[in-house]
Amino acid sequence: MKIVVCVKQVPASSDAKIDPETKRIVREGMKAVLNPFDAYAVEEGVRLRKKFGGEVIALSMGPEKALASLREAVSLGVDRAVLLSDRAFGGSDTWATSYALARAIEKIGGVDLVICGKQAVDGDTAQVGPGIAAHLGWAQATYVMKVEQAGEEGLRLRRMNEDGYDVCELQYPAVLTVLKDINQPGVPTLKGVLAALREQIPVWTPADIGADARKLGLDGSPTRVVSTAPPPPRHTVTRRITGSPADCARELVADLRTRGIL
Amino acid sequence: MREHIRQRRYHVELGPPRQDSEKLLENLEQFAQKYRRVLDSGYVAGITDNSMGLLAFQGHETIIELGLPVVPGQVMIHLNTFHTKENLHEILDTCIALGIRQLLVISGDGSDRLPRLQPHELGVTEVEAVTAVELIAYIHQTWPGVFEIGAAFNPYEPREHEMEKLRRKLDAGATFIITQPILKQNEVVDEVLARYPELPVFVEAWMSRRISLLSEAVGYEIKDDPNFDPIETLKQLHRAYPDCGVYLSLLGFKTQYHLLGDTWPEPDGRTGEEA
Amino acid sequence: MIVTSREEKDRYRNVWALAEVLSGQVQPVTHELLGAARALADAGGQEVWAVLLGAGTASQAVGLFAWGADKVLLVDDPRLDGFQDELEAGALTRLIHKHRPDILLGAATARGRALMPRVAVMAVCGLTADCTGLSIDPQTGDLLQTRPAFGGNIMATIRSAGHRPQLATVRPRVMKALEEDRARTGQIIRENLEESDSPVVKRVVEVFQDKESVVNLGHAQIIVSGGRGVKSAKGFDLLRALADKVGGAVGASRAAIDAGWISYAHQIGQTGQTVQSKVYIACGISGQIQHLVGMQSSDTIIAIDKDPDTPMMQLADIAIVGDLFEVIPEIIREIDKV
Repeated sequence: MKIVVCVKQVPASSDAKIDPETKRIVREGMKAVLNPFDAYAVEEGVRLRKKFGGEVIALSMGPEKALASLREAVSLGVDRAVLLSDRAFGGSDTWATSYALARAIEKIGGVDLVICGKQAVDGDTAQVGPGIAAHLGWAQATYVMKVEQAGEEGLRLRRMNEDGYDVCELQYPAVLTVLKDINQPGVPTLKGVLAALREQIPVWTPADIGADARKLGLDGSPTRVVSTAPPPPRHTVTRRITGSPADCARELVADLRTRGIL
Repeated sequence: MREHIRQRRYHVELGPPRQDSEKLLENLEQFAQKYRRVLDSGYVAGITDNSMGLLAFQGHETIIELGLPVVPGQVMIHLNTFHTKENLHEILDTCIALGIRQLLVISGDGSDRLPRLQPHELGVTEVEAVTAVELIAYIHQTWPGVFEIGAAFNPYEPREHEMEKLRRKLDAGATFIITQPILKQNEVVDEVLARYPELPVFVEAWMSRRISLLSEAVGYEIKDDPNFDPIETLKQLHRAYPDCGVYLSLLGFKTQYHLLGDTWPEPDGRTGEEA
Repeated sequence: MIVTSREEKDRYRNVWALAEVLSGQVQPVTHELLGAARALADAGGQEVWAVLLGAGTASQAVGLFAWGADKVLLVDDPRLDGFQDELEAGALTRLIHKHRPDILLGAATARGRALMPRVAVMAVCGLTADCTGLSIDPQTGDLLQTRPAFGGNIMATIRSAGHRPQLATVRPRVMKALEEDRARTGQIIRENLEESDSPVVKRVVEVFQDKESVVNLGHAQIIVSGGRGVKSAKGFDLLRALADKVGGAVGASRAAIDAGWISYAHQIGQTGQTVQSKVYIACGISGQIQHLVGMQSSDTIIAIDKDPDTPMMQLADIAIVGDLFEVIPEIIREIDKV
């Protein structure tokens, strides 16, 4: 079985500090880490390979420092990794990103399954997984909470929704996005990490994947961010209530009644 | 463990490099140097387990990958409840193979990336979650007579609650304890010593100048004091607790290590050159 | 599709709202989408079309006019039973080519998140997820889509200047539905499903409605949430009691879930659910970033903690300094008084 796991390097969340005026989180020290949901995707790929044999390849699109997250994927058990990196990819929205990843997957060739994490914690759009499926014309299953059976031809899996879940069967080739529930990711071993440090990870450009330049980067992105603004501040003063538990309760309930909440 | 106290062997806390380290090879080298120095000094290396829930490499795998020597009785591995059962067995079997027999078992801090031991995996049904107690019991029962297992003791938690937890940890098989950092004589620690005169107790000495960092551990705010002298405080701790061992956290290897020869008095009160 | 001139843009007309169907039932978020669509359509003198794709859902079409739809585009076909995202995406793309809507709104739900990105790629147009604001730019006629990014620290405004239609998803309870007006009528446009709508089809084998394993915190008006300070699974019983008293739901931080005190279904935060409730009562939650990003958009945040200075206590609108095990029973008692 040939599996590609798409991973993304995202800024890490650091310790929360609240700006006292705007009540917004002040982010400090933006370290870059493997997107938390992608660790589950990697683990699922590795488990399927353990069961069926074959190969798991980690694929990412990003700047050179994203190589660190690909090495992490290698240390978690993927067989090899590929980075898509080039100025031309910069400024891509999810349409252009999923286009580039889809071309890379075709270039890798013979892929049965693509596994993505549910969403990236910086963009939070959850659009790239289904976008890749659409560019490739493949079947898709999102919010996968469990792979019940996997076989030579396809998979039987559970998709979560707001009411519960459904069980569906689909055939390869297919794209999955997986939830945190699906497995318990392994933790990299020192041995694995040291091996990953020595791993040669190829860096592919648009020419390597035969991409149409008009579908990449800013130019290839149907959406554009036209402005950003800090969110409106919540309020200026936190109302602090102290005293005996009964006093606190009385004050709170009175306040909530005034606000029309109770 | 009483030996460590009699022979005045400090427990020195060592943290393996973090998984997200950008200078891994350099950090590994630094760890190796510190580790060797601790062992050469006759001290005990206390190697942490994903301290504060931050993914780091494990003590046993670091020792193996770096080819570090193990001196029996001078290496202690910390073990928390955030492991798979498979991983837990791997760690302990490796410890046995390496000749490591001392463990400090704690509940520990989790994170998104760390698995958690489940009660049913340890053959326990009455609890919702695995804590240090269940893990101590499991190790004690699965490898009887193999390990000396220590537990943590927090004198800043509600006293009765913490004494009760201590009782359960001892019943489960713990044979020594290490306390949270204390800066001076502590009533609760005194009570433990009075209740359990045979129990080896190691008090944790905070070797960093930044005592404000202790605020979270003690549950009330401690302000940084430019006059705070960790070495002096350490000496006072020894005087207050002559029958206890000491666990050094955040020891300055460059600025403080060389002063340690003078800090732990002999039973007759002499230190350093005089001893 | 790419559009290169204002003339080409103007050939795309009307605002579509994709009806959210779950277990064969049109969901309330659909009414909110129609409300948002109505505001956008009225700004440009356009029509609102509800798009209803499903199996056996035809009878629910006529009810959509009352919520603001002028027309309902209906595809009712047994092959659409269960959630067939490939088939729906194919059909929707074909219908987009045929009818050329200016805007398509969908719900940011499990189904919407599966379907809309696929449609956006197939129809070659832009999609913005989780919009909190939608308006028409009078100069260009483009849809201005506002959404939070970086965990809510930045509000980004996004536009598709060169593509039509413009796709956007919206979370439940963000937009407002109109007042239901049973007197409104409209036209149902019946379309068929075609074989060519998708070469790949799934087989949906079973459907489970499992209220236990899925805790839909997104719909809760009041959430009582617990963290490390709750100290045990039993501790959550107290939070449940308060939640029951005020008709709310119970949430939790990752620390509480890791400790095994409550199931992952209740997790609020970066790798759990994001909520925007009216009231969020944080009990013994210190407020790590990963948790805050999941609830900071709640209207009124109340925090109960022994420590007065945690990030959560600083963020809160009302910060109660106290032991939650003593304060919460008093709150329950106080509510009972009147």
